[in-house]
Amino acid sequence: MRRQLLSLADSPLRRWAEEVQNLAELVAENYDDDEMRRSFIDLSMQLHVEQPLKTPFLAAVILVANVKKQELAGEVLARLATETEGAIQKGEWRTVKLHLKLLACLQSLLEDEGIFPLLDELFSRAADLQTASSEDTIGTEIVKIILLTIPYILVASPGQLSQQKAAELMEKTDIIASEPHALQAIVDPFHPETQEQNPGKSQSLCMLLQNQLQAEAAKDWELKCLPRPWQMPLEDIELQEKLSTPPKHALPTVNIPTTVIAGPRALFPEMYLSVYADQDAESVPPLTSISSSLIRDGLVDTINILNFNRNVVARYLLDIDSYFADGTFVKRATAFDDLRNFPADRSTWKPEDVAVDTVFSQLFALPHPECKLVYYHSILTEACKLAPAAIAPSLGRAIRYLYRNNPRMDLELSYRFVDWFSHHLSNFGFTWKWAEWADDTSLPAMHPSIWFLEGALDKEIRLSFAQRIQKTVPDPYQALIGPEKEQDVPPFKFANPDVPFSKEGQEIGQLLRRKAADDEIAPVILSIQAQANSQNLDPYVTCTDVFMTAVCWVGSKSLSHVLACIDRTKARLLELSNASEASRMQVVTAVMSYWHAHPGVAISIIEKLLNYSVITPIAVINWALQGNESTSGASGGEALAKAHVFEIVSNTVAKVTNRVRQLYASDEADDEARAKEAQAMKDMFRTMNDTLTSWANGNKDQMIETGDGSSDREAMIQRWGQRWLRVFQRKAALEEAFLLEAAKGKDSMVVENGAGGQ
Amino acid sequence: MAATTRPFRNTVDRLDKPSAYYTARNKRRNRDEEDTQPEAPQVDPLANATTLYVGNLSFYTTEEQVYALFSKCGEIKRLIMGLDRFTKTPCGFCFVEYYTHQDALDCMKYVGGTKLDERIIRTDLDPGFEEGRQYGRGKSGGQVRDEYREDYDEGRGGVGRAIQDERMRDYDEEGRYVR
Repeated sequence: MRRQLLSLADSPLRRWAEEVQNLAELVAENYDDDEMRRSFIDLSMQLHVEQPLKTPFLAAVILVANVKKQELAGEVLARLATETEGAIQKGEWRTVKLHLKLLACLQSLLEDEGIFPLLDELFSRAADLQTASSEDTIGTEIVKIILLTIPYILVASPGQLSQQKAAELMEKTDIIASEPHALQAIVDPFHPETQEQNPGKSQSLCMLLQNQLQAEAAKDWELKCLPRPWQMPLEDIELQEKLSTPPKHALPTVNIPTTVIAGPRALFPEMYLSVYADQDAESVPPLTSISSSLIRDGLVDTINILNFNRNVVARYLLDIDSYFADGTFVKRATAFDDLRNFPADRSTWKPEDVAVDTVFSQLFALPHPECKLVYYHSILTEACKLAPAAIAPSLGRAIRYLYRNNPRMDLELSYRFVDWFSHHLSNFGFTWKWAEWADDTSLPAMHPSIWFLEGALDKEIRLSFAQRIQKTVPDPYQALIGPEKEQDVPPFKFANPDVPFSKEGQEIGQLLRRKAADDEIAPVILSIQAQANSQNLDPYVTCTDVFMTAVCWVGSKSLSHVLACIDRTKARLLELSNASEASRMQVVTAVMSYWHAHPGVAISIIEKLLNYSVITPIAVINWALQGNESTSGASGGEALAKAHVFEIVSNTVAKVTNRVRQLYASDEADDEARAKEAQAMKDMFRTMNDTLTSWANGNKDQMIETGDGSSDREAMIQRWGQRWLRVFQRKAALEEAFLLEAAKGKDSMVVENGAGGQ
Repeated sequence: MAATTRPFRNTVDRLDKPSAYYTARNKRRNRDEEDTQPEAPQVDPLANATTLYVGNLSFYTTEEQVYALFSKCGEIKRLIMGLDRFTKTPCGFCFVEYYTHQDALDCMKYVGGTKLDERIIRTDLDPGFEEGRQYGRGKSGGQVRDEYREDYDEGRGGVGRAIQDERMRDYDEEGRYVR
């Protein structure tokens, strides 16, 4: 029974009626077997929340079993009602949605209006919440759930009553659904320049659903893509008749608390993103079709819920057509070019495109998807491994869309694209058709395409090595992989006698190398300080540069070496860095300069130095954003156009925000410590906001000093400033919201799982 | 939530469970202990594990490469490269320690079985690193699996070392075939 139930509809043979009837027979006949009955109900409860694409098929089993043994359906309904009530109380809204989906599919065996009164009551909570605050997200979530439930009622129980009730409900949801949500702007995947068109014409899922359902109502609720496994073939006419007049059940009471809560996961309006939006052949359902939302909803839930087995999820991605009505998709692995020759009345939706599109919708979800980003990488990898010929061309078109739109995307998403792309290629021998972007390698250094190409090649090298990656790209790209990337151990600048303080630098290097005690090092430091003073240099900054650079060089063999060296010299490092903000920034500068050809190593070292409090988060941020040539090595805002600089700042900010969230989640932390860290975080965001705003507006000192306010270069810097600003304003707003929520009281506190902290 | 008597089991298998290798080894150990200490309450040493054993690395894979991949699941607290007992050079495994148990589980689910340095790597939950475990336990200093391996694996020193030694016996000092 377990095996049969769990594998419902998996078979490509699509013998739905047979599978459903066999299973219904088995459980109805063995109704008196307590063990069997209990495990059927338990499994049913689990199956529709773990593998929601199978819900209609499970419902069909229950519907058929109901005509043979109505008590069974009664027990299922009782259990389902209890679980729904529990999920509402805990604010587990996705689970509520999945329970309602099953209930909707069982509408035909419910008395009177079935689940409509329940939806009405849920709506009234949503309306209350929305009236109270325009920033409310629970109400929007509830409306989304109601709208996603309606189609399942109408396929399970078509007819006058359902249509009328649905129309009434949709009239009510319209006010909430058709109004753009207050938070929508900060989670829009696109961030076009002011004069540009938004390529995605971003719409929230809720607004889309409302429009799509209205269109579907006008088409008499065709709902073409949904499976109807409760419709039996002609030879089972007898059963079909029984199914149309089944023993009815009253829906057991589902109590909804007067105050509903947001639950364990912070809610945001969901935006609909499609990487196949601008094609000449419609390879995915268009935004106007309810199918786009229904298929994606089922698959997104499956992906996120089954994150503990990426192989099964990859199978789902490849078999997505098995769980929808005949004719919804074209045959698997149909070539994209063939879609143009399809007759107008046939679907041209490629199952691979729909699957890949869905994964990208998660990978590019703002503020962050449910699971770690690397999870979405892994399912694309597995899908590609299972069916390379079918998936690879779909991925290729997705990559081209993302590459084309990279300049218009939210910068955080552009960065996710770099990270995914390089990681994906590392699983497939680093093969990509680089030739098609070769011309772009001659674009200006601060162009978004150079940002992408440099960032991606750097990340490929981190996962491999320079000589290997050089072999995978055509000649025009070699300039982006400088010869210094081939050197595993960067040169020690103090080895050059012409460099100031080279003698002292070498001396410290030798002392560190033989693990000399600090009192042997102290005289050299004093000597540097004395010389610096006489040359009108900051003595601490000068010492910091010599010492930190020497630590990097001595530890250049591997991360363990440098970490051990940092451990041994921690007291000295702390003394130098405690001297001033300028010293702390110099620590960052020394590490980033020494490892400039291998930013990945630099970033790991900076991370450890932050942990050791040798440097502060603000020192890293100032290093990146101040635009001082002497520190960042990139003058006047050019650092903003480097992917690794964005990475190091994002990582640093994440460290701070995670720390605050941990403090608020932990029982041991006291309010004073919390308030202190929270204030430090707010200060950090304010500093970032100030600096980035001046870059974005073009009135940063360095820009005014060097330019006339009109050059291409300045326009580019300004644009980078705007893109950075948007990302960190969003992060600031999210943390602000978290603190507000936390202040409302510890009992209803929202503690996120931190999946987005990466 | 579901069955009260049966242990909770998902509708599909989970990838964040210890491997058969670990479970079997543990069973063996538990059986040995049973003679002296029957009925000792079992504490699952992996219940809060933050460390992963990572296997099937190339001998040439660097710490930096391991960092680049494994940081995708969370910040790495400590990385210990597996070394040949005699030459102290990497011998194809390492221990990655995270700050949280969840990061380690996520790594099992999302990184185990994918490629690093173009090799499929294996991850296993580990009760934690102890001094001495960084060395290979094979006779010639590396990992046991590299002693008798018959396939040629360029990233792991060719064929197994014991087999190499065996083959070398067919030649005299000047490289002439003698058998």
